[in-house]
Amino acid sequence: MPRPQPEEITFTIDGREVQAPAGLMLADAAKLGDVDIPVFCYEPKLGAPVGACRMCLVEIEGIPKLQTACSTPVRDGMVVDTTNDRVKAAQESVVEFLLLNHPLDCPVCDKGGECPLQDISYGWGRGESRFVEPKRHFQKPVELSPLIAIDRERCILCYRCVRFSQEVSEDYQLVLHERGADTFVGTFDGHPYSAPFSGNIIELCPVGALTSQAYRFRARPWDIEQSGSVCTMCPGQCNVSYTVRDDRVQRVLARDNDAVDDGWLCDRGRFAYQGAYVDERVTRPLVRVDGQLRPVSWERAEQEAVKLLGRSDGDGHTVGALAGSGTSNEEGWLLRRILTETLGSRDLDSRRDGALSAGLMAALDAPEAQATVEDLQYAHAVLVLDTEPVDDMPIVDLRLRKGHRRHGVRLMVAGSRPSSLDPIAEHSVRFAPGAGEAFVVALDAAIGGVGDVAGPAAAAGADPAAIEALAKDLREAGEDVVILWGERLTAGAPAAAEGSDPGANAARGLLKIAGRLGLTDDRAGAGLLQIPSSGNGRGLREIGFLPTAGPGYREPEDPGRDARGIAEALVDGELTVLHLLHADPLRTHGDRDLWQRALGAATGVVAHAQFLTEGILEHATVVFPAEAGAEKEGTVTHPDGRLQRLRPAAARPGEVRATWRTLARLLVALGGETSALTVMMVTAEIADAVPFYAGITHDEIGGFGVRWQERDAAAAFPQGETGPFTLDAPRSAASSNGALRLGTFRSVWSTPDVEHAPALRFLTPRQRAELHPDDARERGIGHGQRVRVSTGDGGAAVRAVAHLRQSAPRGSVFLEAGLAAESADAVSGPVVLVETERA
Amino acid sequence: MSTKLLFEDIDEPGLHTLDVYKRRGGYLMAEQALAMAPDSLVTSLKDSGLRGRGGAGFPTGLKASFIPQGKMDKYLVCNADESEPGTFKDRELMQKNPHSLIEGMIIAAYAVGANKSFIFIRGEYAQQATILEDAIAEAKAAGYLGPDVLGKGVELDMWVHRGAGAYICGEETGLLDALEGRRGNPRLKPPFPANQGLYQGPTLLNNVETLTAIPYILRVGAEAYAAMGVEKSSGTKLISVSGNVKRPGNYEIEMGMTGRDIIYGLAGGIEDDREVLLWFPGGSSSPVLTKDDLDVPYDYEALAGAGSMLGSGAIIVADDSNSVVDIAVKTASFYKHESCGKCTPCREGTNWTTKMLLRIRSGEATPMDLDVIESVCDQIMGNCLCVLGDAMAMPVSSMVKKFRPAFEAHIERARRDAEQRLLASLESDHGPESILEGIGAGAPQH
Repeated sequence: MPRPQPEEITFTIDGREVQAPAGLMLADAAKLGDVDIPVFCYEPKLGAPVGACRMCLVEIEGIPKLQTACSTPVRDGMVVDTTNDRVKAAQESVVEFLLLNHPLDCPVCDKGGECPLQDISYGWGRGESRFVEPKRHFQKPVELSPLIAIDRERCILCYRCVRFSQEVSEDYQLVLHERGADTFVGTFDGHPYSAPFSGNIIELCPVGALTSQAYRFRARPWDIEQSGSVCTMCPGQCNVSYTVRDDRVQRVLARDNDAVDDGWLCDRGRFAYQGAYVDERVTRPLVRVDGQLRPVSWERAEQEAVKLLGRSDGDGHTVGALAGSGTSNEEGWLLRRILTETLGSRDLDSRRDGALSAGLMAALDAPEAQATVEDLQYAHAVLVLDTEPVDDMPIVDLRLRKGHRRHGVRLMVAGSRPSSLDPIAEHSVRFAPGAGEAFVVALDAAIGGVGDVAGPAAAAGADPAAIEALAKDLREAGEDVVILWGERLTAGAPAAAEGSDPGANAARGLLKIAGRLGLTDDRAGAGLLQIPSSGNGRGLREIGFLPTAGPGYREPEDPGRDARGIAEALVDGELTVLHLLHADPLRTHGDRDLWQRALGAATGVVAHAQFLTEGILEHATVVFPAEAGAEKEGTVTHPDGRLQRLRPAAARPGEVRATWRTLARLLVALGGETSALTVMMVTAEIADAVPFYAGITHDEIGGFGVRWQERDAAAAFPQGETGPFTLDAPRSAASSNGALRLGTFRSVWSTPDVEHAPALRFLTPRQRAELHPDDARERGIGHGQRVRVSTGDGGAAVRAVAHLRQSAPRGSVFLEAGLAAESADAVSGPVVLVETERA
Repeated sequence: MSTKLLFEDIDEPGLHTLDVYKRRGGYLMAEQALAMAPDSLVTSLKDSGLRGRGGAGFPTGLKASFIPQGKMDKYLVCNADESEPGTFKDRELMQKNPHSLIEGMIIAAYAVGANKSFIFIRGEYAQQATILEDAIAEAKAAGYLGPDVLGKGVELDMWVHRGAGAYICGEETGLLDALEGRRGNPRLKPPFPANQGLYQGPTLLNNVETLTAIPYILRVGAEAYAAMGVEKSSGTKLISVSGNVKRPGNYEIEMGMTGRDIIYGLAGGIEDDREVLLWFPGGSSSPVLTKDDLDVPYDYEALAGAGSMLGSGAIIVADDSNSVVDIAVKTASFYKHESCGKCTPCREGTNWTTKMLLRIRSGEATPMDLDVIESVCDQIMGNCLCVLGDAMAMPVSSMVKKFRPAFEAHIERARRDAEQRLLASLESDHGPESILEGIGAGAPQH
C-alpha cells in the first residue's frame, strides 16, 4: 500500500514562517517552529485526535471560532496565532476548569516533577482558582490492577487510557462510567484491568491518576536518570528507557522507535526488571560440590569450567552448547569461538527444534525477501502463519491491529490454536498441531492453482475450501503482502527412515508461496518476516550459532548436531559436557524426558544464568551469574535485520560480571586468541566475519539501530540455496483415533523473569488444557474441571484445568510449554488422552 | 396567520394508517419524486429555502448537496431524539402522521442516493416508536420501502432505533455513535457526517419536522413554500408552546409571526392574566427574552437580531410568579446532568455553574458569584466540542445579564433568611448562649 508522501508547505505561526509536511496536525507542526501548543488528550500514537480536552485551542486566520490544534492539519499559507489575548483566555479557562476538581496533591504524587498537568498549569494557567465549592471525591488510590493504581480524583478525563484499551490494544476493558462531571474510568465489569499491554496507560496518563504499583513512591524525578537500551526478552526487541536511581533500575519506559515498537511496551518488558533485584537471583559463581551448588570465587569457577570444557577424550570433541533468549551477538560469538576454535565442536544451536541448511536459511532471510515491522502496518494483506504474535513477539500484535484499524490491512491467520487476532482477521484457517508443513504445501498448491490441494489439506487436518479462499484473497489482495511466520513452522528433525525432512520442506513451500506472491523480488513493503523462538534468534543465526551454518550463513564443512541431536548425544555418551548460555533446556526446549536424561547423563554442565531454574539447579556443575538486560552491553539483531545496541544502565549486583568478558577469558584459557578488551572489539570481530555486517560499529548503530539490509555491505549477502523445489509429500498430521492431537504454545508469561518479578508473579500461568466443548463433552469434561493429559501408556502426565474454547479446532488439545510446573514438555505427543482427574 | 401545511390533516382520525394517509394523497409525492432526477430534488429543496428544524437552522438543500455522489452505502438518519426541554412537536407528528415522515425520508434518501435509513427515536417515545414500526411495516408491505421501492429499482431499507434517554444523543454525532452501539459522545468535526458519518459512510441527518416537510414542499411547490414566511426564513414552522400560558400545545405558524401573537393569540395569553417574566423562544438552550421582546417576529433572523435564537421552536413562557433564580438553577442542572463529560469546558463548566447557582439559591453566595458565573459562561461558549456547553451558558448568562437586580435581591434576601433560619434552629435547640460557649470551648455541642 503506498505510504503517504506529504509535500512541504509553509505556514505562519506567531509571526514565524515555518516549513512542515502538509497534513501534519498543527499541534505537531508548531514544534517545527519552536512553538509549544499545550495538549492533554492529543497523542498521535492513539490514532485520530478526539479534541476532548480543548487545551490546544488556537486562532486561525479566517476561521471565526478558536480551533483545536490537535485536529487541524496544516495547510499552505495558514496563519496561526497561539498567544493573543483570546487564545490566552481560552487556555487559562481550560487550565482553570481542569484544576477545579484536581486535588493538587503534587507533593505526594508520583507524577510531580514530570507531570504535563503541572507543566501546563505553570505555563498556560492563570495561577489562581475561583472555585470554592467542594471538590469531587473518590476512594483513592484503588487498584485498577495489581500493576496499576488509579486515583480518580487526579484524573482529568482526557480519555487516553480508555482509547488505548479500546483502539490500540483492543482489549476493550477500560470504559468511562457515568457521564458529565460524574464520569470516571474503570473496567466494564469492575474486574482488574488485566491485559498484556496494560502498563502503557501509566505512561500515557498526563497526570498522576494512573501510577505504577511497582514504582509508587520509589523515586522523584530529580532522583533519577533515564538510560536508553533495548529489551531482549523476546524477538520484539522494543526500545526502552530505564529509570535508574542509585544504580538500580526502578522503572522501564518506552523509548519510541516507530520502526521497532511504535512507542509501546508489553507488561513483561515493563515490569520484569524487578527480577534483577530479588534474592533468588544468582549473584555469585557457583560450583557443584558434593551434589550441592556452592558459592566460589570467580577464579575457581573459571578453572572448573575450563577443566570441564577442555577435557578431551582423545578422538573427538565432547561439548555441546545452547544459547537462549537474551544472548547478545557478542556473547554468542565468543561461545561459538570457544566451541569451534578451541574444542573442535560444531554442536551448537540457538534454534529450539530442528535445523535448516545454511542455504535455506539464507533464502528465507535474503534482503530482497525481507519485510520490516513497519511493512506490517501498510501492507495490503498480512498472513500470520503458525505464530501467535501476542505470545511470540507481543509488540507486533499492536502493529497488526494498527494496520488493520487505521490502514485497512487485510489480516489473515493460519495456525493451530485460536489466535487473539481471529476477531479482526478476514480468514482464520486452522490446521492440526505440527502440520505446518502440510498446510504450506496445500496453500502453495492453492495459490499456484496447480497440483493437489485436497491431499495435503487432509494431511494438515485443514479445510481445503478455507485454504482455497485464503489463497484467492492472498493472490488478489495487492502487491504488498507480508507473511509473518513463526520459527515453529520449520521445526522438526528430518526423519531418515521415512526420507522426509518436514522443516526443510515447509521452508521450501513457504519460499514457493513467497515467489508466487512476488515477495522475493526486492519489493519494498512486501516480503517475509520470521519470528524466531528466542529474543536474539536472528542475530545468533547470522553469526553462525547453529550446527548448520557458519558466520553469515556460510555452509560448514560438516554440520554439527542440533539441539535435539545434542540431547541424544549426551544420552548416548557421545557428548559429555553441555554449555548453556541463558538457556535451561527443561524450560526452553521441548521433550522434558529426553532432556532430563541428557542432563542426568552429562558429566558437566556449564551455565550462565540469572536464576537457578530446575535444570540448572539440579544439573549444572558450574554456574556463572549472568547480567540482567539492563546491565548488559552489546548488540542484538531484530527479526527484520535491524542491529540494535544494548547499553548498560544499571550496576551489576553482587559479584556479577559481564558474561562476554567471562566467555572471552574462557576462550583464552582454552587456548583461543582474542584481542577483545571491550564489547566493541568483539562486535568488530563479528563485523569482520559476517560479510553483510562489514564495518558496522556501535556508533553507527546509535540509539535507533540500523538495518544491515540498508547498508552497502548487504550486497555481500550469500545466494540462498533452497535445494530441490519440488515439494515432498507432507507428513500427515497424527491421526487422532480417539485420542486428541497435542498442540503446545508458550504464552508471554511463561518465563522465569515473570515468576521472579514480584509485580508480575500473579500472571504466572497455571497449566490449562484448551479444547473444543464437543471434544470435552465426549469425554465428560466440564469447563474448569481438573484433567490429566497423558500419552496413555503409563508415561508422564500433565495435570491441568480444562478450558473449553468454542474456537479451538476439533480433535486437538493445547497445553502451555515452558512452565515451571506441569509444563506441556512433560508429555510428548503427537496424540494424548485427556481424562478427568480421579480424586 | 396560522397556515396549515404539516398539520393540515393532523387530527384526521386514523391518519397513522396507510389507508387514511393514502386517501389524503399520501405517497403521491414519493412516486412523483422517484420519477425525477435526484439533482432536481436537491435543487427544489434549495429553492424552497427550508432550513433544518432541529435547532441549528442549517439550509436543508445545501446539506443534502454535501453528500458525495457515486455508488456506495449511504445513510439517511432521522433525528427523532427530540430532547430539548419544551419541545414536543416531533412527538405529535410521529404519533399522528408517521407516514409523512416515511414519505419524506423516501424522497430525501432518493435525492442523496441513500440506501439505508434509520429513525433514532428517544427511548421515552415508546408509543411513537411502536407506531412508526407499524407504519414502516405497512410501507414495506405496500412496496414503498425495500429492495425495489415502487418498482423504480431504488433500494431503501428503514429501521427504528430507540435511544436510551440521553440528551447528548440528539447531537448529531453523538446520535451516530449511539446508533453504532457505542457510548453516545459527540465526535470531532470535521469530518462532517455528510462525508464520514454512520459507519464512516456518507450520512444525511435531519430532524423529523424537516423530513416531514419535504412531501408538503413538493406538493405546494418549492416557490410557493419559499413565498411563505419571511425572506430568509421561509415556510411554516411547528412550535411547541408551554409554560404559564392558557393553551399550551403545538401550533403551525408561518415564519414571521410575532411572539405576542403566538403567546397571546394562539396560546391564549398568560395564566391568571399575569405578566410575562421571561420566555425562551427556541427551547431551554436559547437565551431568554423578556416582555419587552414580545413583538420580535418569530423567524431565524429576527430572533438572532434580538440576541436569541429560534432553535427547536419551543416557546417556554414563565410569568412573574416565578423566580428567575429557580429557572436558572433548573436550566443549569439539566445541562449539567446531560453533559457527556467528553470535553473539559462543558463537563467542568456546567458543574461549576450549577453549584454556584445552588449556592445563590440557598443564600450562601455574594454578588461576586454572579460575575464568576458570567465569566464561566463566557469561558464555555465557543470553546466546546459540541454545543451542549453553549446550551447551558447562553440561557444562564442571559438570565444573569438581564435579571441581575433580581439575582442580587435574591442573594441578599436568601442570605438573611438563611441566617434567620440558622439562628432560629440553634435557639430552639440550645439557645444562643450555648453556641457562643461551643465556639469558646472549641468543641461542638452536638
